[in-house]
Amino acid sequence: MGSAIEAKTHKNMPGADKEADLTERIEAFLADLKRGGCGTGPIRGSGETARETTALLRKVTAQARWSSAGDLMEIIRKEGRRMTAAQPSETTVGNMVLRVLKIIREEYARSRGSSEETDQQESLHKLLTSGGLSEENFRQHFVHLKANVIEAINELLTELEGTTDNIAMQALEHIHSNEVIMTVGRSRTVEAFLKDAARKRKFHVIVAECAPFCQGHEMATNLSKASIETTVIADAAIFAVMSRVNKVIIGTQTVLANGGLRAVNGTHTVALAARHHSTPLIVCAPMFKLSPQFPNEEDTFHKFVSPHEVLPFTEGEILSKVNVHCPVFDYVPPELITLFISNIGGNAPSYIYRLMSELYHPEDHDL
Amino acid sequence: MSSRGGKQKKGNVTSEQEEEEQPLQAVLVADSFNRRFFPISKDQPRALLPLGNVAMIDYTLEFLTSTGVQETFVFCCWMSNKIKDHLLKSKWCRPTSPNVVHIITSDLYRSLGDVLRDVDAKNLVRNDFILVYGDVVSNIDVSQALQEHRHRRKVDKNISVMTMVFKESSPGHKTRCEEDDVIVAMDSKSKRVLHYQKTQGLKKLQFPMNIFQHGSDEFEIRHDLLDCHISICSPQVAELFTDNFDYQTRNDFVRGILVNEEILGNQIHLYVTQDGYGARVSNLQMYDSVSLDMVRRWVYPLTPEANFTDQQGQGCTHSRHNVYRGAEVSLGHGSQMEENVLIGRDTSIGANCHISNSVIGNNCTIGDNVVLDRAHMWNNVHVSSNVEIHQSVVCDGAVVKEAVRLNKQCVLAYNVVIGPNLSLPEGTVVSMHHPEEEEEDDDDEFLSDDQEVGHSKDKTRQKAFNPAEVGPEGKGYIWKASMNDTEDEELAQCLWGLVLNPDPESDSESEASEESQDRSRSVSPEIDDVNAFQLEVLGTLQRGLEENIVCDNLVLEINSLKYAYNITLKEVMQILTRVVLEYPFQQQGTQLTTLQYTGSLLPLLKTWSPVFKNYIKRAQDHLDCLSAVEELFLEQDTHQTAMVKVLMKMYQLEILEEEAILKWFSTGATNDKSRQLRKNQGLQKFIQWLKEAEDESSEEGE
Repeated sequence: MGSAIEAKTHKNMPGADKEADLTERIEAFLADLKRGGCGTGPIRGSGETARETTALLRKVTAQARWSSAGDLMEIIRKEGRRMTAAQPSETTVGNMVLRVLKIIREEYARSRGSSEETDQQESLHKLLTSGGLSEENFRQHFVHLKANVIEAINELLTELEGTTDNIAMQALEHIHSNEVIMTVGRSRTVEAFLKDAARKRKFHVIVAECAPFCQGHEMATNLSKASIETTVIADAAIFAVMSRVNKVIIGTQTVLANGGLRAVNGTHTVALAARHHSTPLIVCAPMFKLSPQFPNEEDTFHKFVSPHEVLPFTEGEILSKVNVHCPVFDYVPPELITLFISNIGGNAPSYIYRLMSELYHPEDHDL
Repeated sequence: MSSRGGKQKKGNVTSEQEEEEQPLQAVLVADSFNRRFFPISKDQPRALLPLGNVAMIDYTLEFLTSTGVQETFVFCCWMSNKIKDHLLKSKWCRPTSPNVVHIITSDLYRSLGDVLRDVDAKNLVRNDFILVYGDVVSNIDVSQALQEHRHRRKVDKNISVMTMVFKESSPGHKTRCEEDDVIVAMDSKSKRVLHYQKTQGLKKLQFPMNIFQHGSDEFEIRHDLLDCHISICSPQVAELFTDNFDYQTRNDFVRGILVNEEILGNQIHLYVTQDGYGARVSNLQMYDSVSLDMVRRWVYPLTPEANFTDQQGQGCTHSRHNVYRGAEVSLGHGSQMEENVLIGRDTSIGANCHISNSVIGNNCTIGDNVVLDRAHMWNNVHVSSNVEIHQSVVCDGAVVKEAVRLNKQCVLAYNVVIGPNLSLPEGTVVSMHHPEEEEEDDDDEFLSDDQEVGHSKDKTRQKAFNPAEVGPEGKGYIWKASMNDTEDEELAQCLWGLVLNPDPESDSESEASEESQDRSRSVSPEIDDVNAFQLEVLGTLQRGLEENIVCDNLVLEINSLKYAYNITLKEVMQILTRVVLEYPFQQQGTQLTTLQYTGSLLPLLKTWSPVFKNYIKRAQDHLDCLSAVEELFLEQDTHQTAMVKVLMKMYQLEILEEEAILKWFSTGATNDKSRQLRKNQGLQKFIQWLKEAEDESSEEGE
């Protein structure tokens, strides 16, 4: 592999071609993100977005011109900033950029470690006086760095592909026979989770329809196709029905750094109702949804889409008299959540900070 | 509105596989071919006017790109250089753009028809293409409409030539503008358009019976449609425009096709979308509502904070109540941005301001205690303290001084200064252009944005600003008030599009191309063409005289000659004048005495005066005609004395106007010879006489 890469760098012309191709790919990806998947591009789940981002970053690593880890990180950071700016509500993109940065740091440290036998362990002292490997220290050139980084990114991709299955595999530990489960809207992860449990157990699922987008309807259809007993309820009925429910299982768009959620509208209602009835609330969230972002009133936290779903444009005069808003996300505070199920197992919300420090390097939190 | 054209060429039936592979193309017409945005569009083409601080053409291009268009032809006419510069700087012309943008400029486009004829002449489109104007704002996903269109074309063997995209919206909707109101009769199964009519405020509408006898059992007559001005066209559309050179607009085309449907078998279809947003900014009222819709996120994902144009520093943040702030915005103590507010970068706002439903551009300064409601401010606007602005447009560089109040539907065009202590009444339009530049032009049907505006600059400069109108420190002229006839009111209203000019389209469109004329930047056609044209005109007139042909028919012939030889209107008129004046020489040899000459010429002038009147309408035309007369008599210097008589006759026949002659006399002299000419005694007397403007004109003439 190393020789192949060297061969590439020797020929200038194909290199230029590749770079053009690369920028084109990046631009296309950015445009797709900006259109929020509602242009010609398919509407993607966040898992797919994560994989695409990672694949793109791998391409950047392979094709951009860089000589040291520092250069590469700078390139990745630059592209990462643009990608996150393109669609701030899509946190998965930013998370993947951070993961790749972390990979580069690790590979660099490994290369150095193997050649110089230093920096073997992170001591507490080192953590405190962090800054640890500052940018200047990434200047060293290693022949195999590129290959190693690419290989590590490939591992990440494999991990991403397996996430849903990994989560679904844990279903039997959480869902028991004859339970009544409530979920809200549609989440691919939750869907897989429930279907997996349905192979062995019989249980009843209540789906809140999640107006105005009503993804709940689609969810219910899919579940009933897998011969799960399913009921769709209006969002307003959530509290009333909650007393019958044994467990609430939901998906989320982002897991925030404090263990809270940024999830589809209506989730907060479900969480509060569950707390009132002391029903456990389980969140199925793959690790790539873990974001170093904290909940705040920052403007990128929200996402408002066209009010069309709330009050159709075809309504005549009333539109000039009222203001219509259509927010997409809810914030769910961590104290309402019982358990996170991720691809590496179950975790309490209070443990999120620890996962965060394992996944991302603290210096990268701000791109 | 789509129309289907006359004859359909069957030649270009490409194989289906080929069609699949070809990239989707679009034709974007970056000119409105009308003057609804005057006086604003005098300084900036409409497609570049900012809507939510982004040029309108960028919305259109983003719309096209997101629907998967891979090749766009942008046709510009009025101020094409500005549009070109803008596009070259934008992200659309970067090599990585998925949508390849070709810019085609020409000063000769007069209408949509001309553009499509050019598309056909240059053979640009190979397949179905999307036709939009440069001021369409939309997020509609037309891929389904496109699919339906292609399917129909496959099944029906190219019978369907156009699919128009409409958005469902009930009557009375704020984003529906009255003048674009259409009523459509369609076959509900095949979505075929049977009848298409602009309502134009009519209470009573008539449908021809035969549309209901087509054999289909379900019809819909719909009035709840908003025309998005997006049409999916087959390549035949361009050909049909070529075949029918009288088609100027899509309206003509639709009418033409529907009328000829029986004979030619072309059909138009309709695609009605419920979701998505699409509207054309066709007047200021539409501008106002589209701008608000955009801020209210109806056009998501084309929202201000998305910065889809990828411009540096254009980004802004979105917070509650749809308040958008660019970088470096400062807001004074006690100021409130209530709702639906977009503020561009580097703008500073003073204390205790109330802002709602407004868009403020970059680099603006706003004083204290300002109330803005539905204000649309562009870049670099300065607003002093205690100002109130309601539903008005304030263009780049305008200054609003202390304690000014702009009532509804005011427009401050570029660089105007207003105030202090003034209240502008509703519907006031203030511009740096003196309305008299336009005065004469407004009463004809000239509709193109494309015209030279600087011709009377000197005159403009001399006029002082009226402090009663624009305030003691004000700069600018009221656009509406100084115009004297009844149409002005309509024009001023038309800017906002609230009151309907009884029949604005039909007068104007039909003749727009013949009457519009290129004043300053006439592109001279091949010399041969001009000569050939001159000979042809001469021949036509000769025949007209011999066979006693009606003048209307002569006009028709000359018009078709104009097209055949590609002659601009200005030249048509000059050549016509020259031919007529030389006619006696042509017939009786050059040895004529002055007396003989005038004797034979004057009756001719009388005979042909309708022809002249058809071409000479606006002030500039008069001047052009006069200069042609002058030129001829400079050449034939022995006959200079005849000139007075010719002018007099033309004046009497009302071919030429008194003001035009006076103006020509006072300003037209450019060299010694022409100055000499003006010293001619007879001419001096004539002018003297005109100046006194008595009505005893008749005796002196002969």
